[in-house]
Amino acid sequence: MTLIDDFALLEKHGFKLLPYSMAKSEDEAAMMAKRIGYPVAIKIVSKDIMHKSDIGGVKVGIRNEEMLRISYRDVMQRAAGKSIDGMLVQRMARKGVELIIGGKKDAQFGHMVILGLGGIYVEIFRDVSARICPITSADFSEMMAELKSHPLLEGARGKKPINKKALERLALHACRFMMKEDIKELDLNPVVCDEKGCDIVDARFIR
Amino acid sequence: MRKIVKNLDSVFQPKSVAIVGASTTSNKIGNVLMKNFLDARFKGEVYPVNPKHDEVMGKRCYAKVSDIPKRADLVIIATPAETVPDIVDDCAKKKVGGIIILSGGFEEVGRNDLALKIKATCEKNDIPLVGPNCLGIYDPYTKVDSIFLPRYKLERPKAGGIAFISQSGAVGSAVMDLAAYYGLGISKFISYGNSTVLNESDYLDYLAQDDETDAIILYIEGAKDGRKLLEAMKKTNKVKPIIALKAGKGLGGQAAARSHTGNIAGSYMAYKAAFKQAKVTEAEGISELFDFVKIYNQPIPKGNRVGIITNGGGMGVLTADYIEDSDLALAKFSPETTKELAKIIPSYGNVANPLDLVADAGVEGYTKSIDAMMSDPGIDALVIVVLLQTPPIDERVIHVLATAADSRKKPFVTISVGGAYTEAYRKIMESKGIPSYDSPRAAVKALEKFVTYSKYCREIGKG
Repeated sequence: MTLIDDFALLEKHGFKLLPYSMAKSEDEAAMMAKRIGYPVAIKIVSKDIMHKSDIGGVKVGIRNEEMLRISYRDVMQRAAGKSIDGMLVQRMARKGVELIIGGKKDAQFGHMVILGLGGIYVEIFRDVSARICPITSADFSEMMAELKSHPLLEGARGKKPINKKALERLALHACRFMMKEDIKELDLNPVVCDEKGCDIVDARFIR
Repeated sequence: MRKIVKNLDSVFQPKSVAIVGASTTSNKIGNVLMKNFLDARFKGEVYPVNPKHDEVMGKRCYAKVSDIPKRADLVIIATPAETVPDIVDDCAKKKVGGIIILSGGFEEVGRNDLALKIKATCEKNDIPLVGPNCLGIYDPYTKVDSIFLPRYKLERPKAGGIAFISQSGAVGSAVMDLAAYYGLGISKFISYGNSTVLNESDYLDYLAQDDETDAIILYIEGAKDGRKLLEAMKKTNKVKPIIALKAGKGLGGQAAARSHTGNIAGSYMAYKAAFKQAKVTEAEGISELFDFVKIYNQPIPKGNRVGIITNGGGMGVLTADYIEDSDLALAKFSPETTKELAKIIPSYGNVANPLDLVADAGVEGYTKSIDAMMSDPGIDALVIVVLLQTPPIDERVIHVLATAADSRKKPFVTISVGGAYTEAYRKIMESKGIPSYDSPRAAVKALEKFVTYSKYCREIGKG
């Protein structure tokens, strides 16, 4: 399964991902970026690279074609020697709190869903809460309240609280998806949330 | 409840017990078991079973269970694993009520074949089986005691309201010994070992409707069926509180996963999630099992506002620190309470929370301040620090605390920090059902857990 297959299947199951396209060349990337609309982000897609940002395989906030072309070449250079499937061009996510919604099939309890502070430091901060699927709205409220980063969801430092209902819908949907498709592991990470809604920026799952 | 679980009545309240492997040799398991039943004045019949003997401890000994003229309600088996399947068959033929297999040598050493045989026989005949590879049960009400550790080495707790389910025999027996030492009363002790037929969920189901049990301690290493456990915990915890200790928390060689979630979410996270979903109180060690369970005899608080009474300033401050760091809150005294408390404390003192009675406070200081705070609607629970080292404090303070506990107006915990003298007094407090702690931190944490569970009780319309 490639990243694009994952994305397509998630969309088929009702997850709304940020608009994206896969480019095989610099010119194609430029064309897609124009169609999606700037600003965009680009991400290297390679089965050799699990954590894209570790090798500098992600560029964000690209505002025009010139920046896009420079970024494209830079990323390709950093990924030299790796087997590369292409370059993902994606609309820039809203600005907001980066969260992770994930899930796993536990040998004892079956599917569980997690919520946590997302982004690239997930495994460093490990600020996550978990529940066994399926979950209720009350369960999800507790999951949010348990996070150390909970104040971020409530709108710390003059920001508005995030749209918790949208996040909840996503978590409940993730539970249903994992149980129905018998998914082994799922990452929706980051999910960027502001007061209006949530963007699923990246996703992967293992059957 | 499944019929086979309901049939556990035969295990806990048998009219007669057969002990397979009964022995005349002192300190052999079959000998300790016989002594357990004869010394503890078990009211029913005891039948030793062992083809090598005609008589054991003055009782006629039978070659096999089916030779006993009457039907035995409970059969306890302590013979080598290879012999067990035939004995279980013989028990089924005689339609015994329940079986405890103490012997090891089954699934835990890869002998699933033996385990499957006894499982099939028991399930087919609805015979509840405790074990194998366990200590079995102890019921202080009916004196059923299959713990093969001699009583002079492992004291048995008195009868009370705490049930204890333990996957491990070693942890279970240590907790029992400590419960006896601190005078905590037990309703039922179950060490279930391999859980070949009945597992933790079945025991929870059974204890949920057990009249003698008010609270349940669960020590678990790995559940047989997580989903079933979650459901059993949810159901039981609504009726009576469960305090759980999970061992084996590490990722322990779990293969590196390919996702962030896979790397973070180990099996312990699933247990933790299940405990939270069922609103089960999780303990982080053996001492917390005791800390958390001994407060559950207290009335359910209406909220989280705490009044502190102390006869030592520093202990009051420490207690307040832990409260601020918890889900509890420091109460504000009403004007009436403030007026009452002003009469108690020395003229140079201030009425504040924590209320410092100071070291020359006598026992009346406690009586009056407890009364005042118990009557204040703005206070939901009390923390009472009693430093027993001060000259004016003597055993009368225990009477004051016991009276406060009996009044059942508001829940409270006590803190007494000190050495042998203090510990001796703490033991007396505990035996009188006064929740006593040896540190502010332990007391506040226990009260916090109790308040959290109480909130859940109110949500589901209890208390």
